[in-house]
Amino acid sequence: MSPTEHAEPHHEADHAHDHEHGGTGKYWAVFLALCVLTGCSFLTYFEMWHNAIPVSVSRAFMMAVSCSKALLVMAFFMHLIWEANWKWVLTVPAAMMSLFLVCMLIPDIGYRTYHYSSERWNHTPQPIEPETHSAEGASAVPQPGH
Amino acid sequence: MSQHHDDHHEHGHIQLEYQPALPIPNAKLCLWLFLSTEIMFFAGLIGAYIVLRFGAPTWPTPHDVHLSEPIGAFNTFVLICSSLSVVLSLEAAKANKTGLAKAWMCLTFVLGLSFLGVKAYEYKEKFAHGIYPAQPHGLLYDKPDVYYASALKVALEDEAKKYPVDSEDPVAKERREVLELLRNGLVQWNTRQATQATNPVEAQALIDSIAYTIQHPHEDHAELTRLQAEKTTLATQLDELSKAETPDPQELSLLKTRIATIDLLTADDAAILHHGVNHSYDWLDLPFVIPSGNMWASTYFLLTGFHALHVIVGLIVFAIALPATLGVGKANFIEAAGLYWHFVDLVWIFLFPILYLF
Repeated sequence: MSPTEHAEPHHEADHAHDHEHGGTGKYWAVFLALCVLTGCSFLTYFEMWHNAIPVSVSRAFMMAVSCSKALLVMAFFMHLIWEANWKWVLTVPAAMMSLFLVCMLIPDIGYRTYHYSSERWNHTPQPIEPETHSAEGASAVPQPGH
Repeated sequence: MSQHHDDHHEHGHIQLEYQPALPIPNAKLCLWLFLSTEIMFFAGLIGAYIVLRFGAPTWPTPHDVHLSEPIGAFNTFVLICSSLSVVLSLEAAKANKTGLAKAWMCLTFVLGLSFLGVKAYEYKEKFAHGIYPAQPHGLLYDKPDVYYASALKVALEDEAKKYPVDSEDPVAKERREVLELLRNGLVQWNTRQATQATNPVEAQALIDSIAYTIQHPHEDHAELTRLQAEKTTLATQLDELSKAETPDPQELSLLKTRIATIDLLTADDAAILHHGVNHSYDWLDLPFVIPSGNMWASTYFLLTGFHALHVIVGLIVFAIALPATLGVGKANFIEAAGLYWHFVDLVWIFLFPILYLF
């Protein structure tokens, strides 16, 4: 942050940067991009996509599309692209904490079935499919207890 | 205290200024601080959903739980439109075009309401199919087991009480017969066979067969073949039992009931078996099984419910702003409200794919 920015009274500083990026054309462009990206992620709904693309690739694609949409909204609609460096102070720690939060859930919740006993597996929901009526079908999921 | 030199030439002298905080309005700073806590709040919820879902042995597909992907996509479009309209409202307010600012704000409000309306319709669909976030209304069971069979038996008995034995009404009589066949010829018969089975896989298959008959997302033609084979075996047994010198009347009755139940399920090209009892009889709402369905319902209603609450709060803020003159003086207010609304949109951007498309 430059000394000039510090010296600006609040509202003057705010209005000064507001007028630097006048015009609403860019918002319409971002809106169009968001619609196109939503259309892209909705492609995964169709049977044709399912037959051609593996599920893991499809999910990675959807998350990439979502992250792109989120960045567009944050950068343009939330004006972060035009804000001073204070934006990092507020967003980076929160983003890091969010990632840590999810990572901390993985060992206890994400891997919970890794520690299931045989008894616990007996009470675990399984898909009701003809194949799973046999013991082979049930072993599709890792079952250390079995 | 820190002092800075101001190099604005129009003032014509050095101005010393105390800078107590970040160079943004206090309202905007507070809102960003609030949003940073909100990021962690929703990251916790979405993260919990992801680890619960990918750690689960099985997870229902959107079709199993009556989720419509096009409706979700439509709601995404509605929120994107509302994000655009609120930012255009802010730009109009900054240019002091109060009428235009109010028009964009009105549109944002209507779009927010539309989002909530679609969400309410989606919730209604789930409730109509017996999917609730919690008991006692929910008819959803995670696994076909003795608890499910017991709940089904109780539900059939409760339903049968609505149709008195001495009723002359042919509809009531027919419904009562169906309920008795389902209770005795399906639930009781299969659970009895399951307890007598020595192979646990076979016992589980019998209980699975009950759940399949009541409701299933995918057709399994093997079930019809199995029932037809069972009927042939039972008919032979019945024939042998009838020829015995002292036939056991209870055993005879059980066999006849089971055969009648198979006939009911396989009549008209096995219509009831293929569509499931719950879908074949619109007057009947019996407990049903969706593996991991309760975990799905808990996470779906929690995530979308908290998101919908945020939408409602945003709409209240817009409703407060609407009666005012939305000129330059209100720009900071609109910006703060808009930042919050964009965050709500941001959350939905992640909720849509992980709930509807994954």
